[in-house]
Amino acid sequence: MTRPDVTLATPWHFPTPTITRLPNGLTVWHFHLPGQHIATFEAVFPAALSSEPRDVEGVATVALHAIDEGTLTHPDGRIGELLEGNGATLHGIARYRHTTFGGQAPSRRLGAVLDLFTEVLTEPAYAERDIVHHIEAQIAGFDSTLASPGGSNGLAFRRALFGEQHRDGRPAAGTPATLSPIDADRVRAWHAAHFVPDHTTLLIAGAVDADDVIAHFADWRPGAPTPAPASSAPALPPRVVVVDQPGAVQATLTIGSRTVTRDDPRWAALRIAGHALAGAFASRLNLELRERLGYTYGINGGFSPGVTEGQFAVGGSVRNEVAGDAVARLIEGLALAEPLTDAEVDDARRYLIGVAPLANETSADIVAQSSSLAAAGLDPGDMGRHFEALATVGADAATTAYRSAISPELCSVSVTGDAEVLVPQLEAIGLAPERIDLRA
Amino acid sequence: MTEAHLHYELAKHRLDNGLEVVVAPDPDAPGVAVNLWVEVGSADERPGKTGFAHLFEHLMFQGSGQVASGEHMATVETLGGTVNATTSSDRTNYFETVPRGALDLAMWLEADRFASLAITGENFETQRQVVKEEKRQRYDNQPYGDLLELLIAQHFQPEHPYGHLTIGSMRDLDDASLEDVASFFEAWYPASNLRLVLCGPVTADEGISLTETYFGSLPAVPKPQRASFEAPLARPELIETVTRAVPHSLTYLSWGVPDAADPVQPALHLALSVLADGNSSRLHRALVRNGDIANEVHSALLPHRSSTSVATILGRPSDGVGTDALSGRILDELARFIDEGPTEEEVARAAAQYERDWLWDLATTSGRADAINDAWLVHGDPARINTHLAEVLSVTPDDVRGAARTWLSPTAAHQLHYLAENAR
Repeated sequence: MTRPDVTLATPWHFPTPTITRLPNGLTVWHFHLPGQHIATFEAVFPAALSSEPRDVEGVATVALHAIDEGTLTHPDGRIGELLEGNGATLHGIARYRHTTFGGQAPSRRLGAVLDLFTEVLTEPAYAERDIVHHIEAQIAGFDSTLASPGGSNGLAFRRALFGEQHRDGRPAAGTPATLSPIDADRVRAWHAAHFVPDHTTLLIAGAVDADDVIAHFADWRPGAPTPAPASSAPALPPRVVVVDQPGAVQATLTIGSRTVTRDDPRWAALRIAGHALAGAFASRLNLELRERLGYTYGINGGFSPGVTEGQFAVGGSVRNEVAGDAVARLIEGLALAEPLTDAEVDDARRYLIGVAPLANETSADIVAQSSSLAAAGLDPGDMGRHFEALATVGADAATTAYRSAISPELCSVSVTGDAEVLVPQLEAIGLAPERIDLRA
Repeated sequence: MTEAHLHYELAKHRLDNGLEVVVAPDPDAPGVAVNLWVEVGSADERPGKTGFAHLFEHLMFQGSGQVASGEHMATVETLGGTVNATTSSDRTNYFETVPRGALDLAMWLEADRFASLAITGENFETQRQVVKEEKRQRYDNQPYGDLLELLIAQHFQPEHPYGHLTIGSMRDLDDASLEDVASFFEAWYPASNLRLVLCGPVTADEGISLTETYFGSLPAVPKPQRASFEAPLARPELIETVTRAVPHSLTYLSWGVPDAADPVQPALHLALSVLADGNSSRLHRALVRNGDIANEVHSALLPHRSSTSVATILGRPSDGVGTDALSGRILDELARFIDEGPTEEEVARAAAQYERDWLWDLATTSGRADAINDAWLVHGDPARINTHLAEVLSVTPDDVRGAARTWLSPTAAHQLHYLAENAR
């Protein structure tokens, strides 16, 4: 049977929200999605972790995670019972440049759930014993992250990129040393300063009317003055860092550097180049290390935008015996000695444009994408402009943009695994690895 | 309003070669999910030949008569689709979601590999290495990476079909020959052993016609029959203790419970949910929030189609608390739960959470296609996705109590004490 032809449909557009600015400073993006049984909502707070006092780093995460343990109106876990009884679940992350906090619920129950959500936002009880439990959980989480090769290597890579002297180079959720001194007063202070409607964007997608949504947030009182802008880490020379996990049977690798954000004119070209190099299943690096050599279950990576600066990273896990060779091949691949071909760039472009409808199928997808834009101070129309830009990128543009943004000799390398086995292999390929202690 | 009874339209058809298809039209969906379940999983492997079902998950992307190695996945991605495969003890799942205009091509790609898979020495060797790296990455190089294996060993003797993991063992992967692998394909991959679900902007007639066009020429071979499964032998020793280089000790309680299709399953789900799912659950309140005995508790249900499933409650003790003490407290709370039963509010809360999770599973075409295939394999009826929620919402507190009393007896609990080497 002959191979069938493909007829691709008309271009897809990111849905357009209704945007409302409330007198209390809150901006609401409302996506009306009839037929979505599950609604998703999320507040995007411009709270940067560099505003955390140095001695209590992690307080932003404690304030976020303990927020729904009890409210003044429904203390001692009762608020959680009411939320769960309405089929709701809440989740949030304190990131380096902003905090997201929201949840999901059946659309039909959203009205009741938003009442409870605003109660959580505005009157958390922050009982001392709840704070203690969350600090214990975060300390345990830190230990778990360090025990996991992926988690550990992620922390090591951040440290290599931003340095341990800057907040961006230290763990987002704090360390045992900085978590231990946190008490309810410090948590309440963080909440009062940052969980306010001013400069905050609320995103809602689901089968619910905009007016019904806005009514829930109109009485949210403005709070603190504009938060201080995040400070950026100074530029640093590249590093090769190794986290020792004696007895590990694989090396977990990340190679990359700090880079530009969405507002850079090369952004679309860089995304395409990153996808062709390490994002696709048939990317250059995955084909080489997985499909040809069988070194790894997979190599992944590419450019991610961030809020004030972006990151480029590629990585994966490889068995110990081939770790040095794998790093050498990855570095060689990042040099992009052979320019990207028309076919590679065509494939990447078609994927990045073509997958958009599937990647934005649910209310959660729409909110996640919007959250990233809102955090970066961009409007929802940025998606349309980005797709237009992607459509114009050719092989020359992708290659030129990539080469102007990424140089292997300026990339940092983090490796987590058995240092005794791995360090000699890294030295043998001409690198100068330094062992680091993530507890220090 | 969400109704307890859902109304997804499903059209079913059987080809002469035995392949069955269900089409679930959804004109507004952004793409068509093509979801093929092969009725073979790790439970169909023989001792010494483990990991084969999963190995095919890899080999099936290595090329066929008219498709080059890796081309299937790369092609779907460049069309703006998503594509992957998964293996469990009961089935192997190949799936992609593609724009409507690429549906023919997706069907052709699938049919070509079922008709003419390239099982070559070169493909096999590379993918054997990749699978070994997958095993290292997911199990051997992860803290708690052997937890599941230890749990399984508490409930099934090694030679029982459910007595090993889908990933297989390194030894069996090393020992596998090309002939072994080829004969596994011959035995389990005929059209009669496939169930195809199409979900998205395709009508029932179109979907059935496309299936006839692309899969109709696959040979008619009788459907392979899964061997009948004995119930696993009861193990006299309920308590097992291991020590590992992990950051925290855990206690893992588990029970053998009925198979996935058993009518008690919804009540059992809600019982585990009331006990240990979320911050409002009984065990979280009693042991984490108010007891300072544990830092976390969770429950889960590992379903099996042809024999015993496994229900679990996992607890991580607070600093200075032993796993014995925590197990004892969990079992005390469980005994009280069985004695008193849950409140109406607790069951309603668990049901509301289940409703959200279930609707979320159905929110994407790929998720819905998978749920349809699951209902089809487990219950023999894909339309169970329309009635399943009503079934769960009709569970009463007495049902929940009865399920817990019968299946989660404290005296029948298996205990796995997973101790951290340097526990504080």
